[in-house]
Amino acid sequence: MAKAAEPQQRKSRNDSKVWEILCSVRLAVIIIVTMAVACILGTVILQQKSPEEYVGRYGTGIAKFFSAIQLTDIFHSYWFSLLLILLCVNLGCCTVKRWRNKVLMIGFLVTHISIILILVGCVVDLLTGVKGGVNIYEGKSVDYYLTRPDYQKVPLGFQVFCDDFVIEKHPPKYKLITYVKDKDKQKAVSLKVGKKISIPGTNYAATVKELIDDAEVLHEPINVSDEPDNPALYIQLSANDNVTAEGWLLAKDRNWYNDTQRDLKIDYVWADNDEAHERLINAAAKNSTKPTLEIRIEGTNIVKNVLVEKGNKVSIEGTDYVIEIKEFALDYSKRLVPLSEQEPNNPAVMVEISGPQGKDSRWSFSKYPDYQDKAHKTIYKDVKLLCTVPENFSDAKNRVRIVQNRSGKQTITYIKDGKVISTIDWVLGQNYNIADSELQIRIVKYFPSYSLKKTVVKKTGGHEGHNHGPSEHHGNPAILIEMEGPRGKYAEWVFAHTPPHWYPDNNFAVLYEQSGMEIKDYKSILRVVENGKTMVTKTIEVNNALKYKGFVFYQSSYDPEGERYTGLQVTKNPGLLVVYTGFILLCLGIVFIFYVKPFLRRKLNKGKKIEEYYSEEEMLAEHIE
Amino acid sequence: MDFMLKLTLYVYCAAIVAYIVREVWRANTMRWVAFGVLSSGFILNTILVLTRWAEAHHAPMSDKFESFVFFAWSIALVYLIFELVTIFIVKVHESRIGIIGALQCVLIAWMIYFALQTDSTIKELPPALQSNWLVTHVICYFLSYSALSMSFSAAIVYLIHRWIFSGKQKVADVVESGSQFKKDYSFDKLAYIAVSIGFPFLTIGLITGAIWAKGAWGTYWGWDPKEIWSLISWLVYLTYMHLPLMLPKTSIKKSFRPILLSIILLIAFPIVLFTFMGLHKLPTSADSDHIYAE
Repeated sequence: MAKAAEPQQRKSRNDSKVWEILCSVRLAVIIIVTMAVACILGTVILQQKSPEEYVGRYGTGIAKFFSAIQLTDIFHSYWFSLLLILLCVNLGCCTVKRWRNKVLMIGFLVTHISIILILVGCVVDLLTGVKGGVNIYEGKSVDYYLTRPDYQKVPLGFQVFCDDFVIEKHPPKYKLITYVKDKDKQKAVSLKVGKKISIPGTNYAATVKELIDDAEVLHEPINVSDEPDNPALYIQLSANDNVTAEGWLLAKDRNWYNDTQRDLKIDYVWADNDEAHERLINAAAKNSTKPTLEIRIEGTNIVKNVLVEKGNKVSIEGTDYVIEIKEFALDYSKRLVPLSEQEPNNPAVMVEISGPQGKDSRWSFSKYPDYQDKAHKTIYKDVKLLCTVPENFSDAKNRVRIVQNRSGKQTITYIKDGKVISTIDWVLGQNYNIADSELQIRIVKYFPSYSLKKTVVKKTGGHEGHNHGPSEHHGNPAILIEMEGPRGKYAEWVFAHTPPHWYPDNNFAVLYEQSGMEIKDYKSILRVVENGKTMVTKTIEVNNALKYKGFVFYQSSYDPEGERYTGLQVTKNPGLLVVYTGFILLCLGIVFIFYVKPFLRRKLNKGKKIEEYYSEEEMLAEHIE
Repeated sequence: MDFMLKLTLYVYCAAIVAYIVREVWRANTMRWVAFGVLSSGFILNTILVLTRWAEAHHAPMSDKFESFVFFAWSIALVYLIFELVTIFIVKVHESRIGIIGALQCVLIAWMIYFALQTDSTIKELPPALQSNWLVTHVICYFLSYSALSMSFSAAIVYLIHRWIFSGKQKVADVVESGSQFKKDYSFDKLAYIAVSIGFPFLTIGLITGAIWAKGAWGTYWGWDPKEIWSLISWLVYLTYMHLPLMLPKTSIKKSFRPILLSIILLIAFPIVLFTFMGLHKLPTSADSDHIYAE
């Protein structure tokens, strides 16, 4: 009997030793510290990457070692799970061992049990829960989800429709950035109007004087002097007292206007003296400069110029080519309407080349001289054509020429079919009939020295040409920056959406830029359909999920390219209640331990000495001397 | 804003000086001068936080700049409350807090200095942060961090004291309780009190974070670097809480135990700071969407 009892005794002693260890704080501390170290390793070593990446990063030996002891996926490794199980056991044993039915023990019991609850709840979720995801295209539906991380299709038992998916964005924001080149320093500065900001690293100080949310540049014509440096006339054309056209003609710049409907061309020229004046009047009568075609034969020195006139035929000496001009258009795309109604947008000439290999015709574009050679088959590749159309070319039958000169003579000449019909002197503000037509011409303003004044103003009017609603319209903001520097003060407008604005010494620039439209929200309108019946409809967003039959659908991603589908996270957490109970208990317990217990203890033991109601262990734990 | 921020920084710097003077020259008037300077810094800081809140239309704790300013504010708040409680409720001489005030002010000034270096433009809240949990979660964390920073300062002061008096250790044991010397010696106790104030908030912060993550992303815990490091800091303070129970059963000398605990606090708070602002240095942080944008 005695012999039989001996192992029994030893066993119980062993039991108690194991029990002691399992209950001990020492084990708890060891587990906690090990977990902390594991966590640190888990953030220092990249997790869940491909084996090749580890080899590339750490070398073969270390990579093998890491994967052998599961350091490449610590938080899903066996030893980390074992650590958590051991923690649970330790917590359980320790709780059982120290269980006292005392008020002051509540905190201890609740916190330790709550951590067990949280861990158990997570295990329940892991074993019986669902964690997956699915993408739904707009207007389409799914009746499955894909598990993570192995992407297995699992049926849901109902259908989920995505009726709409939208990404809401905040209106764009703009910021002013200063950049100093030699110090390579960039700084975003305040956009507050009237606040002076000194730019670090320079002698400059900037002040935003004005800010316009939606600005546009107005070019206002002004006269800068009485010297005829850049003479300009403001001309109105009217028919039956209705103004049909008006605008500026600049003698030294854009000096003509074509009225294609009425086959009329108006131009404005400036003469230095009376003699030149006469000449200019008569010059208009002769047909204006015609378009020309330069024919070059590649590989030879042969160059020939011909006037572009229908039916004009030239034979090129030294070759067998005969080139005939078949057609001419000022605007190739409108070549079927009469020439006089075309605007000179894309002039082109059609030629027919007769040569040893027969006839070949082609269009030659004045803007793209070698177009034919690249795009089409052509027989005579060595024939290079260049069509030049003078800027003031007009085929108009009716012409009006306004001439002015330094001595003050100013005339208006009407020409029809190349013949001067009349020449009269004009004065400002007077209507003149253009003979043979119902049109009247009036010269409203004369600026001897025309110039444009740029002013920046708030944009008015609608959103023509913009394909969106008024609320989505984002303007083109501009700021007036007054820069104070070594060269004094001056103010300039800086627009957003423009390249950086550099200041004189080329060392300092400001950039007024849009800082991107930040995303406000991702929203998916989801509809759950079961057996043909709509059960739930909900607009989900981040922080607001759809729950149905234990499944929860979270807004988690989207189609980054076209916003065509929404990405949902699908979960089912049977352990949710356990975990949340654990969460709440842990919070309550820990608050009890540190905020309630000390006061409660003092109240319960009023009048007693500290040594009487504190155990030695508690005094150690709470640093009581 | 920039000017206000600078002014706040200067006032906090003045508070550092005031607290050092108070510790060296323990005059009764100095007590209130130091307290007053720090309080005025705190008021300026409050104005900064409130104006930012009004301008940004969201709680000012969503980006780096906002959290630096808010952290400074919460450190000042927790310290001022602590000092008031010490003087008026616990009714002990403020030398029990001693130079900690100066150390806290250094930390505050450091945070404001960081704020000055960061981009202060107002950013819109990304969708994940548009939740009521933002305020609860972040405030819990910052209150906790503030209290824990105090335990860090106390641990430093304790270790310095032990080092200065290391030759007279036997004397220290002999000296009767109640003397000035003994009081100065109890900074380890102060550190414990600070941790016991901060640790519950750290726990609540961790749990509200998990609940928020569940609501926003569908998982309590995604092993994201920020989550892992907040767990690490929680585990380290958990160790600190459990060690006094374990140490008597080991062969570690009794007089060395508080030193060991203080050293743990010395390690723990840098971990907290790293969790708060150093995570972008980690190789694993590239995939995370939890870290303040640079």
